[in-house]
Parts: sequence; structure tokens; C-alpha cells
Amino acid sequence: MTVGLGMMAGCYGVGALGALLAPLSGRLALRVGHLAGLGGAVAGIGVALSVLGGAPGMVLRQPLPDLFPFARMSLAVDGLSAFFLLVVSLVAVAATIYGPAYLQAHAPDAGATRAGVQVVSLNLFLGGMALLCCAGDALTFLLAWEGMTLASYVLVVSEDEDGTNAQAGLLYMVMAHGGTALLFVAFLTLTERAGAFDFDALRAAAAGLDPAGRNTLFFLVLLGFGTKAGVVPLHVWLPRAHPAAPSHVSALMSGVMLKVAIYGLLRFAFDLLAPVAAPLPVGWGWTVLVAGTVSAVLGVLYALQQHDLKRLLAFHSVENIGIILMGAGLAMILWRREAGGGVLATVALTAALLHTVNHAAFKGLLFLAAGSVLCRTHVRNMEELGGLARRMPWTAGLFLLGAVAISALPPLNGFVSEWLTFQALLGAASRSHGPAGLGIVFAAAMLALTGGLAAACFVKAFGVTFLGRPRSAHAEHAREAPVSMILGMVWLGALCVFLGVAPGYAMRFLDRPTASLLHGPGASAVVTAHGPLVLATGLTGAGTEATTISMTAISVLLVVLIALAWLLRRGLGHAPRRCAPTWTCGMSPSARFDYTATAFAKPLRMVFAALYRPRRSVIVESAGTPYVVRRIRYAGEVVDLAETQIYRRVEVGVTRLAQSIRRRSSGRIHVYIGFVLGTLFVALLFFGVRR
Amino acid sequence: MSPSTTAAIINDLGALLLFTMLLILAAGQVYRAIYAVAAQSLFIAIAGAVLALATHNADLWLIAAITLVVKAMVLPWVLHRVLQRLNVRREVEPVVPIAVTLVLAVAVVVMAFHLSGSLGAVQQAITGNALPVGIAITLLGVLVMATRKKALTQMVGLFASENGIFFVAIAATQGMPLIIEIGVILDVILAALVMAILVLRVRSTVAADVADLSRLRG
Repeated sequence: MTVGLGMMAGCYGVGALGALLAPLSGRLALRVGHLAGLGGAVAGIGVALSVLGGAPGMVLRQPLPDLFPFARMSLAVDGLSAFFLLVVSLVAVAATIYGPAYLQAHAPDAGATRAGVQVVSLNLFLGGMALLCCAGDALTFLLAWEGMTLASYVLVVSEDEDGTNAQAGLLYMVMAHGGTALLFVAFLTLTERAGAFDFDALRAAAAGLDPAGRNTLFFLVLLGFGTKAGVVPLHVWLPRAHPAAPSHVSALMSGVMLKVAIYGLLRFAFDLLAPVAAPLPVGWGWTVLVAGTVSAVLGVLYALQQHDLKRLLAFHSVENIGIILMGAGLAMILWRREAGGGVLATVALTAALLHTVNHAAFKGLLFLAAGSVLCRTHVRNMEELGGLARRMPWTAGLFLLGAVAISALPPLNGFVSEWLTFQALLGAASRSHGPAGLGIVFAAAMLALTGGLAAACFVKAFGVTFLGRPRSAHAEHAREAPVSMILGMVWLGALCVFLGVAPGYAMRFLDRPTASLLHGPGASAVVTAHGPLVLATGLTGAGTEATTISMTAISVLLVVLIALAWLLRRGLGHAPRRCAPTWTCGMSPSARFDYTATAFAKPLRMVFAALYRPRRSVIVESAGTPYVVRRIRYAGEVVDLAETQIYRRVEVGVTRLAQSIRRRSSGRIHVYIGFVLGTLFVALLFFGVRR
Repeated sequence: MSPSTTAAIINDLGALLLFTMLLILAAGQVYRAIYAVAAQSLFIAIAGAVLALATHNADLWLIAAITLVVKAMVLPWVLHRVLQRLNVRREVEPVVPIAVTLVLAVAVVVMAFHLSGSLGAVQQAITGNALPVGIAITLLGVLVMATRKKALTQMVGLFASENGIFFVAIAATQGMPLIIEIGVILDVILAALVMAILVLRVRSTVAADVADLSRLRG
């Protein structure tokens, strides 16, 4: 199967070179580049499935050419790597099918240069993510990580009309590199101890760490990957950068790039840094669980108040990363290495991994659907949309599918993984006592709140965007998206349905990662113990009997019920139907009468006012007397607490410090050289004599 | 040549180097500082030649020759030319009085010797007292840069500092790889050329010197 790895890398490489065709024809470059990317993604799926379906313990190894004299580079695809490679490749398939048509429809006269740049960076981005998942040593990992970051940065700023994307890109760049710096520190600490770069050596080196060093490294890594994953309060770049990229890249960034950070975190927590013959330190799991809970709740709360379709979706990524981290954190808490892993830890990790692939599928789908809307209307503010369901039926239907999935409603995939997360949380709560149990119950309650709020948010997003009447000329003249874009969406929609209706069949592919990380039973041994049609959590005992569910039966039941209702309505109800305008007290109805997104979110804005700190201004222009109102202007905004409470303060502090340094600096070179000399003198005196 | 003789010669050369360094520090006029740094470079070339004789390292001969030509002849000549072209007052114009500089220099030298005492293991591998002398000259070069107003004297300080590093390098390792030595010397030549041109241009267009750069403060 190393052939598959070679094909994958080759395809991405050819795709990047496809940009050379840009001078001939931008359209040709887009086609070729995306087609090669598609080939790479398909090869990636092949590699991943062959490893995931292969014998337990099989690791696909492939040495890389020696680029550096000091380190040997290699690829090593084990279960965890293969799983994340699968996630990357599944969404990459959709994005590469969707991409060329989108870029042409969105900006038909963009020019060949931009097409070339986008083709190069998209392929480097995809290749970087795939390589990162397969990396067998720290150097490959860091190179791929950096390549992925830089390529996605280029994509974020590739469509800059008014400078806002450049700003978003800058923020992304700064935050991403801050995180990367922490990762470098962690990796280099380990490589220096190990004297080598490959993960096996790092694992051996980490075994000799003392607890304090181990904890320090873990929290460095958590901060580093947390920045990339968009964990609150490190998320501020995410809702700016993700919407700025072209929509299929947004789908990749939100659906996949964040997951790559999760991969890194799992790799470090369960594999590289895990103590030998001891459970993980208690603080790790709890920190991750708390961070996940906070991210989930705050992510969805902020998403509710967004009226920019893509920005709303980006905030939902923060929420879903939170849910994934809740599962992962719980698995860390529950994992006991010596006791065979523990069934509950397996359930929790399965939930996290399943939600990873689920979120990739439905968030990818939602971003692609939002991209269809964007490329046909050129409007992202949903207040100016409306009534698109009739004009773009496929896009609307697929967006609805994604919305149902992300709202964790049966019978789609979001429900399955959130249900498993719930089972793990509740099972863990019933088995632990005191504050720990209480904390886990609280997390479960927060997860429930998150699910409810997400449903509310997508009622708003779908209703305001697709239902009602068009509120602008853009929306009124929208047409359905091109076929290839719909195909891309259908691929992800089909994934959502498959993972929702028959998740038991996908569980087999979670065996390798769960078993190898937890050294316990695989996912399917626990979750599909009663056959692939029934999901179980393997829990027995008081209060936990009701822990089996059959998604397939639920789906069949749902279909039957809908069919019954439809038949009954056809058979019985022949009530006369009449079309008439809505009664609007004598005024002629207009699209302005529809529910707006702002109005829909108002109740929650009031309930959570302490968090949102909403500000609004209403300006009434009257014609002479207060009784004749000519125009009312309304402007409102909510703040992101992390921004105002943390980042703004840091900014003020840094500015103040810089000002004070500026006031003190004389500008005289002699003084500066003197400072250097003095520092050197003192340092030499101090360190030299201390020895 | 026996090792003890070599060590004795290197020690004596080290003393001469320190002496020239003090001459640079104490120089009241710019051209004296330039002659002193030229003499210092000459001694380093001699040190290189002595080491080459003792270790039979052919590369060291080459390095000594390059040092002699570039550092002891060409660079002082460039500096001297710049000085003549500038046609300004020849005084050094110290930021702090020369006497105070000398006191500071004494502190630096004492510290350098004190420090090298605690680096016993390193000192074993080094010919004589080269390490403390090298450290002292390096730091004193920086001291010259810090305490003199004119760009020319700062260039002198830079060369002296570079000489210190060079001395440690050849004495400590019996010659670094040839390519590195040549690279370092090229760096110095480039720095000298750039600074010389810069000084002349700045002087001819805005009639300012390094001390006036403080007006550029943001």
C-alpha cells in the first residue's frame, strides 16, 4: 500500500504543478489542479481504508528522501493516522469536485494568476494535511504543519476585495504561529532528549520524563493545538479567517484542518506523552473536558447572534470542536492503562472520533451549501437573503440535511455521535462520586443545552436564508448552482445519511484507532456488540439499561411514519385549498414583514444578555412631527467576551509598554551598543562564575 | 618548535594584543587608533604563522597571509582614506572621558581572566592565555563602539572585536576550517566597504555623523 501513499503525494504534487497551466488558461489550470487533487484524495481514502481494514498493529512505513542531514524523515501510517487521513480525504473529495465550478461562478473574471495561486495552495494545503496525518517523525510533522498553515493563509487572503480578508489572514497568521511556536518547543524538548526525530524515539524519551516535565509539555501542546482547533478563548481568528477563504476551502478549514489539531492532541496525549503503566494525569482530562464544554456552549451562543452565514458556520465549528474535546477529555479521565482500558473510555473516544468524521461531513456540506448561496447571490448577510428554497431547491435541501445533522436530530449522523457522547458522560457520572460526578453531569447538561441552541440556530439560519420571501434583488434573481457543485454536496450529504442510518457499519473503521490508543477493546467490540444494526454502550447496571439504540430501526420507523402521514393525508383530506395573501391589517405585505435573523435571535439575546453585552442604537427620522416616521435605523451588535476581556486588554497593555519603551529610548546608537555590552558583561559574569 | 615555546610565544603575542587594544582605547586621535588596530592585526597574523609552524597546518599559513594582507594592510588603508576624504577634525570625540573608558577596560580585562579561570576544561585545549585575551579584546572592541561618537572609531572598534574572535578561533582550535575563516574575512571586508561608503555618502549629503542619528527617533 506504499504505492497508494506515493500516488497520493504524486497527485497533490501534479495538482500543484497544474498552476503552470494558468498562463495558458485559468480555467484549465483550475480543472487540472482540482482533478489531480481529487485523485490524491481518492488515493488517500484507499490508503486509509486499507490500513483501517488491515490486521491490528499493522503500520504502513515509508522512508522519505533525506532532505536534512540531521534527521531521517519517514511516514508511518497507523490506525489513528489512517483514520484522520480518511477524514481529510473524504472532505477533500467533495471540495475538489466542488471547487472549480465555485471559483468560476463566484468570480468569473478573477484572472489566471489568482487561479494559479489557488490551485497551488489548495493542493499544498491538502497535501500538507494528508502528510501531517501520516508523519512518522517530528520533522515531517512540523514541516507539514507549517505547509498546511501557510497554504491555508494564502487561500484565506486569495479573494481580497476590501482589505478585510488581509486583516483576517494576518490575525490567523499571528495566532497560528503563536501556537506553532509552542509546538516547536514541545517537539524540540522531546527530540533533544531522544536524540532523534521519529515518534518511536520520542515515545521512549518521554517515558523518562518526570511528572512536572510531562505536564508542562502536555499543556504546551494543548495550547498549541488548541489555537489551531479554535478552542475558546483561542478561537478569535477562526470566525474571521474561515469565512474569508473560498467556500470549499472554508469547508476544508472548518471540517478538516481543525481535526488535524485534534489528531495532534490525541497523538500526544494517548501515545507520545502517556506515562508508562500509569493512567494519564488527572488534570489533563479535566482540562480538556472543561475547555471542550466551554467551547461548545460559547461557540453555539455566539453562532446564534451571527447574521453572516459563513461566520455563523465558523462559530459552530468552535462548538463542535468543543463536543469532540468533551469526548476526548472524558476518555482521558476514564482511561486506566493497566485495567484493559475500560469500556467507558472506549465509548468516549469512539464518540469523539465519530463526531470528528461526522462534523467533517456535515460542516463541509453546510459550508459548500453556503458557498452555493454566496456564488449565486454574492451576499453573505442572511438578512438580505430569503426565499432561496424555491430558487435553489438542491442547495436548500442539502443545507437542510446538514442543518438537521448538526442539530443532532435523528436519523442523521450528528445525533449518533452526540448520543454516544451523552452515554459516555452519563455512564461516567453514574460511576463517579462527589465533585467529579457532579462535574460530568454538569458537562452533560451543557451538551444538552448546546444541542438545543444549535437546533435553534439552524432553524434561524435555514428559515431566514431559504424560506420566506427574498429580501433583496440578489436573492430574488438567484439560480441553482452548477451540477458539479451539487455533486460535491451530494457526496457529503450521502456520507451524513450513511453515518446516520447505518453507523454500525462504519464502526469497524474505528477499531484500530481506539484499540491502539486505549490498549483495550476496539470500538466495534463495544458499540456494535449486538450486531451492526444496534448501537450499544456496553454498560450494565443500575440506571443504565436503556443504552442500546438502533439508528436503522429509527430511520425505518421515521420513513414509515412519514409515508403513513402522507398516505393518510392523501386518502382522507381533500379539504379545499385556496391561495390568498396573508392578512396584514390592510397593508400590502412585503418581504420586510418576514422574521429577520436579528429578531429571531432576540429572545436568546435577552436571556444571555450578561454574556453578549448587546449594544444597539435606534435612530428614528421623523418628518417634522413625531407621529409621521419617515425611517427607522437600527444597528445592534454583540461582543465576544474573549475579545473584549482578554485580547483587547492584552492589546492595551502591549501598546502601553511599547509607548513607555519608546519614550525611554534615546535613539543614540552608543547607548544601545552600551546596553548590549552591559548585558553581555553581566551574563558572562553571572553564568561564567556560577559554574 | 616545541609546544612550550609555542605557548610562550602565543602568550607574549597575547600581551601585545592587549597592549594594542589599550592603545586603541587610549588613542586621542582617530589615526592613532587606526595604526593601533593595524598593529593588532599584524600580531594576529604573526600568531597564525607561529601556530602554523607548530602544528604543520597548511591552512593556517594561508589564513595568516590573508590576515596580514587584508586586516593589517587593506582595511587600515581604507580607514585612513576615509579619514582623509572626510577632512574633519581628527579628534576621537569620546562619549565618556577616555580615562573612564580605561577604568571600564580594566574591569573588563579582570573579568575576562576571572571568567576563563572558571572555564578550566576549555582552557586545557587552548594555547596559553589566548581565551581570556580573546574575550577581553572582543568586549573591549564593543566598548570602543559604545563610547566613541564617530563612525570611523566605531569601525575601528568593530575590527578590534573581530580580531579578538579571530584570535580565540585560531588559538583554540588550531585553525577553523579554511572556508569559515575566509567567509569571516569576507564579511569583514564587506562590512568595511559598506560602512566606508555609508559614512562618506551620509557626510557628503546631509553632513551628519552617527551621533546625529538620534534625531531619527520615532
